[in-house]
Amino acid sequence: MSARFTLKPVGWRPRLPPVKAESATPEQLAALDACPPAVRRSTYFLTLAHDPGSLGERGALFNIVMYAEGGLDRADRELATAVVSMVNGCVYCTAVHAKRFVELSGDEPAMQRMLEEGWAAEPDPRRKAIADFTEALTRSPGAVTPAHLAPLRAAGLDDLEMLDLLHGIAMFANANRLMLTLGDPLLPRVM
Amino acid sequence: MTEDLIDHLLGLPPDHPVVALRHRRPEARRHAEGAFRELLLPADPGGLSHAERAALALLVAEREGDADLAAQYRAMGPAAADTPRMAALLDYAAKVALAPETTVQADIDALAALGLTPRDIVAATQLIAFVPYQVRMLAGLRALAREKAA
Repeated sequence: MSARFTLKPVGWRPRLPPVKAESATPEQLAALDACPPAVRRSTYFLTLAHDPGSLGERGALFNIVMYAEGGLDRADRELATAVVSMVNGCVYCTAVHAKRFVELSGDEPAMQRMLEEGWAAEPDPRRKAIADFTEALTRSPGAVTPAHLAPLRAAGLDDLEMLDLLHGIAMFANANRLMLTLGDPLLPRVM
Repeated sequence: MTEDLIDHLLGLPPDHPVVALRHRRPEARRHAEGAFRELLLPADPGGLSHAERAALALLVAEREGDADLAAQYRAMGPAAADTPRMAALLDYAAKVALAPETTVQADIDALAALGLTPRDIVAATQLIAFVPYQVRMLAGLRALAREKAA
């Protein structure tokens, strides 16, 4: 895709001073508690905590989209969110979700290839179908037709897996915009 | 269960398989609706009025090309006020929605200079970034519904 995407840890520096956990209001703390446990004290979520109403609902939505049981395999969700993040140019989100894909699938060479070259030549038909559909819905939602779903069906996705894929793609249309707008990535070489 | 915004905009019969499919992820359905209400119609809107919120959502829905969602937001507020503040907010919305990678620190600082608090800036950004979620859910679900009809 581009030399700038990486599996190495990328930092994030907010463009607004984040809420301090020790001085957060009860409403802000309750909203943070609705977010995934691993990230609820991160700088990013503490920045979003300025508006607890939206953080609580949106954090709960994010949690269910990424971690709901059954349906689309979690590695496939991470693949889709990494692809959205590459299409949108979010280096931070790409690094996080590409890494999770590698952890869940054990296939680092596949992700490294996608980070460097994209997915036009992806040999795995299921991953190729997921990546192509993800790119289409990310770039041109209004142009998506049942023809775009056909390769996913051919790869074996059922209705619930389709719904989970839509949720993941849509969630990162949201997540990338928040991350790209409210802060700057700190790339490994400058950390 | 009652119709939510996405069901309403899809306009499918209650027994349609795509409507039923959405109920297999009830928490996603509930929290997407909750986010919509918190962002557009919060009980305490802070420094960002309901009318300003509807105007921002309308701009993003229009620029993203979803006519049904745009009509929804057009009906939720008056036409955007012709003020420097609203113009700056709409410019910010267009940039965040269509070219988020090009945003810079100065975009945030400009909102603060207009008197927006950190909470207002985060709320505006959450709202602007949530409409693209709705646009893609609607587009994907419409494709699924058309697939079922084929």
